[in-house]
Amino acid sequence: MAKKQTAKPIDIKIKEAYVDFVLENGKEPASIYKFAKDLKMSEVDFYNHYNSFKALQKHIWADFLKETIENLHSEESFVEYSSREKLLALYFTLIEVLKANRSYAMMDLQKMRKGDVKPAFLEAFKKHFHKFVDEILLQGKETEEIIDRPVIGDKYVEGLWIQTLFILQFWANDDSKDFEKTDAAIEKAVNVAYDLMGKSPLDSMFDFAKFIFQNR
Amino acid sequence: MSERKEQSRIPISKIQRASKFVTTGAKVGGNYIKHYSKKAFNSKLDRSQLDLDNAEDIYESLSELKGSALKVAQMLSMDRNLLPPAYQDKFTMSQYSAPPLSYPLVVKTFQKTLGKSPEAIFDDFTKNAVNAASMGQVHRATKDGKKLAVKIQYPGVADSISSDLRLVRPFATRLFNMSNAELDHYMSEVEGKLMEEADYDLELRRSKEITETLAGKIEGLYFPKYYEEYSGGRVITMDWLDGVHLKEFLATNPSQETKNKIGQALWDFYNFQFHELKQVHADPHPGNFMFMDDGTMGIIDFGCIKEIPDEFYENYFALLKPGFLQDKAEIDKRFKALDFFHEKDTPAEREIFSGVFTEMIGMLSKPFQYDIFNFGNNAFFEEIYAMGERVSKMKEVRNSNGARGSKHGLYVNRTYFGLYNMLNQLDAEVKITKPVWLKGSTEKVA
Repeated sequence: MAKKQTAKPIDIKIKEAYVDFVLENGKEPASIYKFAKDLKMSEVDFYNHYNSFKALQKHIWADFLKETIENLHSEESFVEYSSREKLLALYFTLIEVLKANRSYAMMDLQKMRKGDVKPAFLEAFKKHFHKFVDEILLQGKETEEIIDRPVIGDKYVEGLWIQTLFILQFWANDDSKDFEKTDAAIEKAVNVAYDLMGKSPLDSMFDFAKFIFQNR
Repeated sequence: MSERKEQSRIPISKIQRASKFVTTGAKVGGNYIKHYSKKAFNSKLDRSQLDLDNAEDIYESLSELKGSALKVAQMLSMDRNLLPPAYQDKFTMSQYSAPPLSYPLVVKTFQKTLGKSPEAIFDDFTKNAVNAASMGQVHRATKDGKKLAVKIQYPGVADSISSDLRLVRPFATRLFNMSNAELDHYMSEVEGKLMEEADYDLELRRSKEITETLAGKIEGLYFPKYYEEYSGGRVITMDWLDGVHLKEFLATNPSQETKNKIGQALWDFYNFQFHELKQVHADPHPGNFMFMDDGTMGIIDFGCIKEIPDEFYENYFALLKPGFLQDKAEIDKRFKALDFFHEKDTPAEREIFSGVFTEMIGMLSKPFQYDIFNFGNNAFFEEIYAMGERVSKMKEVRNSNGARGSKHGLYVNRTYFGLYNMLNQLDAEVKITKPVWLKGSTEKVA
């Protein structure tokens, strides 16, 4: 993926022009050459920033998440939140950011196949998501909101990723006023996740079984 | 597996909700089987164990649904005379058991409706809800040294009302022995009221109107002030009222004098609303009344207001006029106007229903026949329950098609039951104030 080197405005300009094009035409531009020409820049300018439309798409989604995280950190009380609340806030804010870009987001989300857990356009998004959620989970483990279990303890983040895809899909299909149903879905999904990751009777049962086994 | 009654088990989709009701239906059915098989061996077994079993299962599934289903549970719990005692306690608990909204969602709601987070608006704001309301929850805030109550509505409540009510239907017919037609009649009125209750803008406007009209009219009552600048959409901010709920208040052993004083204020409060305002606070749930040691009382939650149409007002209260039950022609006229009689009733049916309704009215309007009535008299209430139970078992009543009684009566009756019930718990002796046109010779009837 091309790294940003030159002045920022150009890549933002490319991004905005691309989003515009997709929204107006309902599809990607025919070629990078044509797209760059319409923008009155050379193909090289484009390649300096992104090496394909696919890469650009990934950038756009990663930027949604970056904007979300920036917004979260600008919220005063965010640092005081518990792990569960941080994840809730992440989803709520993400949906707000996406709402401002709903038409574009819908196009990509509707193309997503059912059961696809690694959609290409969310690749960079997922990387940032992992990084952020890892921190939240770490906090949760420190405060014991979450129990670190052998083997599955490392897979929590994968589970939350699937939950994220569910929420995105739910939102894409939500026709309630002001997406209130999505709010409710987020609330419930996160509660389920944290109840599963938190201490449960199964842990004590497992611990007990292990003890019996070792002391036969 | 874990059997916790928390959010992890709240059904998410409509299908899941529906299946929730199906399992409840199955369980209720199972309880009946259990009941009748026990009864085969022990014919003295009465319904109360069965009722208790049913109430428990129904309560379980309703408590997981929150929103409008919870509201329906509360509604039904208010119609005490329709419900076997076993259900009542279970249902009145439902007000306090809705799972809370997370703080981030509260913040989000604030940002959506008021453009700022709660911390930016108030000097202090509790992160956790201090109280649950049926359609939302209450947080406590302070601003410039003033304590405020901030009510926040659950997201998606308005959307889910119709579908929730559709889901409640099949088992409401079974549980409350109602025909479909009767239920339709009931549900349309309930749905309309619930939609109004979900509309916080309307609630704010009405609350302001009513509390401003009532302010200072009745001694011993006070109302919160509402703050438009901190309200809107799914948020309502009002004064925080100190005081405790009825049960806790009674636990402090208030003097008879204090109880009478509060009872009187309650009676006058409703009297004023029925006859002067012609609109009434139709949610006499114990959670909406805050009692103080000195015998004053704060009243909150004007979300459920029943406006009483003139025609209904005239016909309904005519029933309470002393001497009404002795006047055959008057009875005929008013019963027709209030839809107690149907066009196609046979003379025999008319005879039966005339008897049933006359008896009911005689019983329920009893306090109106006195100058001073002692609501602490439990015998009066037991008579009402017994009558309700008997009437609901009458073959003619159960098999009658179509609802009887004007739908406006639904909330008005509910309000009176709620009021009677609170006065009963207060054990209060009340001077029966009423408008001049309802006065007459106070002969003892019924």
